[in-house]
Formats: sequence, structure tokens, C-alpha cells
Amino acid sequence: MASAGSQVAELASKLYDACVNEFDPDHLFYQNDFLNLKVIPKNDVALLLECTQSLVNQNLFRLLQKDGKLTWKLIDREDAEKLRNLTPDEAMVYNVIHSTERTGIWVRHIGNRTNLHKSILDRCLKSLEGKNYIKSLHNVKYPSRKMYMLAGLAPSEEVTGGAWFTDGVLDANFINSVAGYIEYTVSRKSWYEVPASDRKKRIKTASGKAEVRSDEKTYLPYPHGYTGYPTVAQITSAVNDSGITPVRLGEESIVQLLEMLCYDNKLVALGNGEWYRSLKNPEAVKANQSRKAPIEGDDLSVANKHLVKNGMTEAPCGQCPVFKLCAPGGAVSPETCEYFDPWLNNGLGF
Amino acid sequence: MMSQCSAELCMLLIEDNFGELFARIFTVLQRYERLTLPRLKFYARLTDRQLHHGLSAMIQHHLIYHFTSLDDGNTYYEANPQAAYSLVRSGKILQLVENRLGEYAAQVLEAIMMLGHSSIAHLETLPELKSKKQRIPNGVHHDGIKAEGEEEVEEDSAAPNGDHAESEEPAHLHPTLKSLASHGYIHRLREAHFQSPNDNWLNASRIVASRPDVKQMKGKQQAAEIEQKAKDMVKEKTEGDLSRGLIYNGIPRGAKRKRNHGNSGSSNPAPNGTNGVNGDHVDDEVEEGNDWSDDEDDVDSIPMDSNLIVRVNYEKLDVALRNTRFLELAEQDAPSASVEIYDCLLRRIEYQTPRCRDTFEIPREGEEGEQYSVPIQLSSIVEDVDPHLDLAGCIGPMEPSTVLNRRGKRPLDDDTNGVNGDEHEDEPSGKNRAYEIDQHLSILSQPPLNLTTKHVISGLPTWRVAFRGLARKLRHLELERMIESRYGDVALRVVRVLHAKGKLDEKRLQEISLLPFKDLRQTLASMQTGGFVDLQEVPRDAQRQPSKTIYLWYYDPDRVCSSILEDTYKAMSRCLQRIKFERSRERDFLEKTERTDVKGHEEEFLSEAELEHLRNWKAKEALLLAEVSRLDDMVAVFRDY
Repeated sequence: MASAGSQVAELASKLYDACVNEFDPDHLFYQNDFLNLKVIPKNDVALLLECTQSLVNQNLFRLLQKDGKLTWKLIDREDAEKLRNLTPDEAMVYNVIHSTERTGIWVRHIGNRTNLHKSILDRCLKSLEGKNYIKSLHNVKYPSRKMYMLAGLAPSEEVTGGAWFTDGVLDANFINSVAGYIEYTVSRKSWYEVPASDRKKRIKTASGKAEVRSDEKTYLPYPHGYTGYPTVAQITSAVNDSGITPVRLGEESIVQLLEMLCYDNKLVALGNGEWYRSLKNPEAVKANQSRKAPIEGDDLSVANKHLVKNGMTEAPCGQCPVFKLCAPGGAVSPETCEYFDPWLNNGLGF
Repeated sequence: MMSQCSAELCMLLIEDNFGELFARIFTVLQRYERLTLPRLKFYARLTDRQLHHGLSAMIQHHLIYHFTSLDDGNTYYEANPQAAYSLVRSGKILQLVENRLGEYAAQVLEAIMMLGHSSIAHLETLPELKSKKQRIPNGVHHDGIKAEGEEEVEEDSAAPNGDHAESEEPAHLHPTLKSLASHGYIHRLREAHFQSPNDNWLNASRIVASRPDVKQMKGKQQAAEIEQKAKDMVKEKTEGDLSRGLIYNGIPRGAKRKRNHGNSGSSNPAPNGTNGVNGDHVDDEVEEGNDWSDDEDDVDSIPMDSNLIVRVNYEKLDVALRNTRFLELAEQDAPSASVEIYDCLLRRIEYQTPRCRDTFEIPREGEEGEQYSVPIQLSSIVEDVDPHLDLAGCIGPMEPSTVLNRRGKRPLDDDTNGVNGDEHEDEPSGKNRAYEIDQHLSILSQPPLNLTTKHVISGLPTWRVAFRGLARKLRHLELERMIESRYGDVALRVVRVLHAKGKLDEKRLQEISLLPFKDLRQTLASMQTGGFVDLQEVPRDAQRQPSKTIYLWYYDPDRVCSSILEDTYKAMSRCLQRIKFERSRERDFLEKTERTDVKGHEEEFLSEAELEHLRNWKAKEALLLAEVSRLDDMVAVFRDY
């Protein structure tokens, strides 16, 4: 019996090694996969089951069920070592957390799946966290839920909300700095800068209008069908090379940001998002960005000067807080309006 | 039908232009809609004499429709708010006509506007049109603020002509009228113009329905037949187009040409370096009112039928004004040459576009099909464009990798340029010119504005303009400007996202707009208070618990547009009312300046301080009127384009 047991153990370790060598670690093993390895003599199914069971007991295999069939998955020897040191409760919790992979799992769901009492569960989680096997994480979608995942994994985009979230909160400063960089980079590639030597000739012949701008750079638009506009891949690599991001940003994150810039009317997507073109030339972009900063905290009238205007935004009525109440002869009326006089004086002042 | 705000505005405009009697009649008609004379008299509490006098004059100015019913023999009167509103646009229109056709044409149009409608014979007798007069710049104009229509009208009606410096030049009345007619700015007055469109329509359908052949039809077929025939009949009855026979090769007579003279451009193809920057000689071309004497002299000698009665065609002028807005859009980021070319394209299209849109109301967002303008052949645009316009110099090279100094496309650099680009100036009149113009139009066709659309008809490249889409874009731009100024650029981004994606819950909205929750909620809440965005609740169960309800934000531009339009009317009214109030504050002083002996001789009778005061007052008035006209730009976008 003892020899049979040692024979099984030997076979089992052979089987495990064969599996590690032949398949990638994430492979899902069916019974046939093992039989095809020709490790088990005479393809004895009963013997195979004994072997797999011993491997499962050693925490080298994980038993799973798929479409009503038994399947197995490999576990690293290191992980198996970890698991062997755990109490059965802890191992159960660890397995549940392991099964959710990068999405993480809510504490209440662990409780439901393991049927452990809350205090035992808490103890298990604490000890697992103490051993640095699992970590708690912050889900953007459910900020109030306490969630756990394996310590070695990076949380998925779904959980973190993508590259733009730090600890589940949108990182506005980071976004703005990357967005500003992208806008400028794209802008530089979207406009043709007239070389300096050429510009001088222009000045000689041009009438007054061109002379005024002589010290500025002249930018020309590219013709229709121009294909030199930056692509998403180019922009992504430019951002990653620039050193303004602590982490490498993926293309999806950059696309997200590019779309936002399109909504800001700063960029335009061409050819179904293949290329991006900037609407403003680099000078204008730079001027715009340097201007933005001091505005915060300034009073609204100063900020308004930069904005595009139309009849309604400049008329006193357009900004009047009691416009809805205004009626001739009423408490608020055009005759008693206190906004018109300053507005008229302001208008006549310049 | 009429909102309170627009009714108020129309009343104010009429009062401002024609006085209280007209305003009173108009208000009564607006309040009670159609009225017979006895009812009108009852409500307006006016004497017969006043009423008759007022009504006849208002009919002359098209401020009132009248209709005599065949059933009961009564004549009904009805207000014409469109005509009342267009009073505010008169200044802008005159400015446009002056730019296009010269000062004298603007004067003629002004005279027609002042009279409401007029026969040619009557125009011939008008002293101010008989000879070219030098207009004294009045206080408003030299401030650089847009001239205001009502002011001009008032002044000219009041001012005696005596002090205008008159120079004896042959009258250009007939050629000018012809060029106005060929542009479609004036049209023939028809009897049907005195009746409201609804009456015309009902009348026409009644006549059609009583026809024996239509009577035999049944059901849907009959209804469709009646509608079609009635439409044709109304069109035929109101058609006043005078441009037939006055348009040559798609260009109306008197149209200001971009090119110098005839075909001179193609006959000396080598551009001679000196005219490096173009466009300035276009500006230099001083309007002397004899542009049309270039060609077609023989046609000029035939005067227009003096029995013809003409009036201003506001529909057509809206088309021209709309085109100027499109041009402004183009100016924002297209190179100047493209803008010039776009101008030529728009001119060509304008000549063939009778009105801004066919439907009476602006269709709802998303339900509006695209409606293209007439296609214009590339070759005819090439003809129109100034041959000295530097086309190649303002587009970058096509190749992504750009080598310094290889942009030798300007004629000047002929000797220096190496590889490519020189073929362009070897033969500027030929195919390359067309290719370059095509390039410029392509630049304009790019997103986000899509100002032009290329369309190939049987192998010939043509260009057209997608009017509905552009008009919609104009509307959105106006809204976005307001949102930006009220709620900041964060709000602008949110609104654009909502507009592009439809209804969104907060989480999705945050993911797309990449805004922190706090900012997002604040802007959404303040925009909701302002009526720009709205919240829809979708309960997940019958109890409608807030915790089990999905909240979706959305942005409905139609709704916002209509509410902003009302606000704009109201703001215009407020400005006009403020002028009235300011005037009453200064009444004593203004009465002095308006005394017949003082008026025109202000320098003699008024002290230095008083003159200063007068200047201040005029500037103030001009500022308010300019604001009204700016608001009118918005009304045009929301309502007319």
C-alpha cells in the first residue's frame, strides 16, 4: 500500500512536471489532456484520478468544473507552498479571491461563497493581508465596498476606471497636463510652419497686414487628404516618451483623452479616429495654455473677455440673474435696471 | 402663435419707427388676432378717422394683412409680425447692399423700404434718388458701430434734402433697380402679398377643391392633389421674381466682380511679383455706382417698366445675410485665400437660392434631412476668383516629411524653387488653377465645420453647401457661446458629450468627459437650473424609489433654442425700452436739440458742453441699438436660417 502510495506520488509529480513543460500556466486541463501526455501507464483512468487528487491535496492542482466536466488548472509550486501554510479556512478564502482575478471581490460575496462566519472571515482576511497574499482595493463603481484581490495582480481598468484615476478618484491635474501636452504635440504636426527664410520674402512683398505679424511664426494648414497628421499610436508613444507620466499609458487611455479633447473642440478626429488634427496652431495653443492658469480666482468679468461673444452674452440681460422677473413697470424693469448704466459706461469708456 | 416677448418687441419696433397710433393698432391685432373693422375699432378705442388713416398706412408698409372673405363679405385685418420684426434688420440689410452694390443701391433700397412698396414711377420722382447725393455722416456712423436701420430711416425721412451737397451726375436709378432686382433683393409686389399666407393657402385650396376634375377624386388622392395644386397656386400668386432675363452666365448684373476686367487675368498669365498680396485692389475699388457700366450697356438703356410696383424681398436678403455668417465661420481658421474662394462660391449659390429653407418652422433636431444648395461647377468658381489671388502660398505641402525651403510656390521664388510647385505658376490660368481652387474648397470641406461638399455630376466636379447642417451648426455655436460664458468650458464639454451621445447617467458621463464628480455635479446642477440640460428619471420598479431609479442627463438643443429665442426677444425689448427711458431722462435737452431751428445747426446754437452731451447721448443710443442688432443676429440664427 505504502509502495502504491509512493508510486502515485511519483507519478503525480511526473505528471505535474509534464504539464508544466507542455502547457502554458493558464491552460485548462481536461482528462484527455493528461492522458495524451502518456505519463500514466496504460492510460489507467483510475490511477490518473488518484494522481490528480494527490496533486489537488498538495495544492498543486486546482479542481474546477466546466460544462459539467471536471477540469484542472496548474498552480505554481511557490503558490502551492503558500497555500500549504494556510489554515483550511484561509485557503478557502484565498481560492475564492484567486478565482476573481483582476476584478477583485467584495467581502460580502466572499462570505456568501465560503459560508464562513463574519468574524472568522475577517480573521482570515487579516491574516492573508498580513502575509501579503492579498490586498484591498478601491472600486470606482462602488466606492463604499470593501474589496480584495491577490496582491500580485494589477486591478483591471473596470475597477480603477482606467489610467485617469488615482485611488478611485479622477486625477484632474494629471489629465490636464497630459491633455495640454497632447494638444500641443498634435498641433505642431497639424500645421505647416513657414521656414524663416521664406518668411522674410513674404514681408517684403506683403501689405501691412503681413508686416504686423512679421515677428510671429506663420502657420499654414495642410491640404485636404494630407496623411501626416499624428495617429493614436504616435501620440501614445510621444506621451510615454515625454516623461510627464509616471506610468506607461495604454492606447485606450489615450483614445479616451483624445475623445475628450475632441469634445473640447481642440482636436478633430479624421478618418474615423485614425488621425487627429488640431484646430489651433501651436502659437495659439501655447498662448491659450499659458493664459488659462491665472484665470482661476479672477473675477468673472476678466474671464469673460477671453470668451467668444454673441449678442446675448454681452448684453446686460444675458447675465442678469433676475432676467426672468423683468417686466416693464415691475419691481425689476428696464427703467430701474441697475446693470444698464455700468454697462453703458463700460461700453463708452473704451 | 405669437409669444408674449416677440409681440412686445414688435410693438416696440413699430412704436419706435412709426409712432403710437400704429403700435396701438398692431398690439390690438396681435392680442385678438383677426378682427373686422368694427371689432378693431371697439378694442382699439380709436376714432374712425384715426383707424382708417392708420390701417391704410400700415397696409402700405405691409405691417397688416387684410383679407375679404367671400362667405360673409367681411374684411378681416391681421398683424404681420414678420414685417414688423424685419424693421430691426433694415440697417444690416442696407449695409450689406451698400457693400455689394454700392452706396446708391443702398439708397434706392432704403427709399423702397421707407415706402413699404413703391412703383418705379414714384421712385423716379423722389428728389433724393434723382442725383447722387453726398451723405453727411451722422453721429452714429463714424463711431464705427454698425449703422442702425431705424435711425437711418427716421433721419432720412425727417431731414430736408437742402443741405446735401448735390453733384450733377446722371441718375443711375434704372440700372440700380435692375441690379437690385437681378440679385433678388427686390421683387414684384403681388396682390396676394397683402393677404396672410394662411389666407392664401386656404383660398387656393378652396379654389382647387371646387374644380370638377379634383371633385371626382376621392380620399387620399384628392387630399394630395389639393395640396399639390394649392401649393402651386400660392407659389404662382406670390411669385415676384424679377431676376429673369437679368442674369448672365449665372451672375446677376451689377454684381461686384472679384476680377479686374473681363478676362484680363488669363490674357497676361505671368504674375509680376508686384501684386504679391491680393485682395487689396478689391478693396481699393471705390464704389462709384457705375460698376455695371463695364459690360451690357445695351441692356441698361432699357428702363424698367414704370408701372411696376416693387418691394424689399426679405427672404432673399436673409439668404445673403446667412452667407455672410458662413463666411465668418470660414474666416475663423481657414486661410484667407480659401475664404475668398468660399465667398465666390457662396455668391454663386446665393443667386440661385430664393430662401433659406422651404419649411415655415425650423425642423426638429435629427428630423431634419440634409438639403444641399445648388451645385456650382468648379470652372465657374475659377472664373469668379480673382486671378491674382495667391492660391498656393497659403497651403502647406502635401508630403508628410517637409524639407525646409522647398515651398517655392510663390511666383516670386520662381528661380529659386527646385523640385515641385513650379508647375503651378507656369500656367496659372489652366488646369492647375482649378486644381488649387479645388484644394482650397477641400480644406473648407474638412471637419468640424464641413463648410463645403464636393459633388461630382457626370464627371464634372461641382461644389455645394449643406445648408441645413451648417445652419444647425450656427445654432449650436450660439448656444455653446452662451453656455461657455455662463458656466465655463467644463460645461461646454459636458454639453457636447451629451449632445453627441444622447442620454447618459452620471457615471458614463464622467468616464467620457473625464471630469471629477464634484465639478461635474455642480455644472450639471447649475445648467439644469438655467434650463440647458435636463434630468430624466427611469424607475426600475413600480415604487419609484430614488435608490432604484436611473437618472439620465440629456441636452435638447431644440428646447434650449426656443427658450433662448424668447430670451433674445426679451433682451431686445429691454434694450429698446431702455433707450426710451434714457430719452425720457434727457427729454428737456433732447427737445432743444430737436427744435427745427437748432437741428442741423447744432454747432451754432449749442454750447460746447451741450455739444459734448449730445455726442455722449448719440453714442449711448448707438451702443444700445448696436446691441439690438447683435441680438438680431442671434434671432436670425435661431429662427430664420
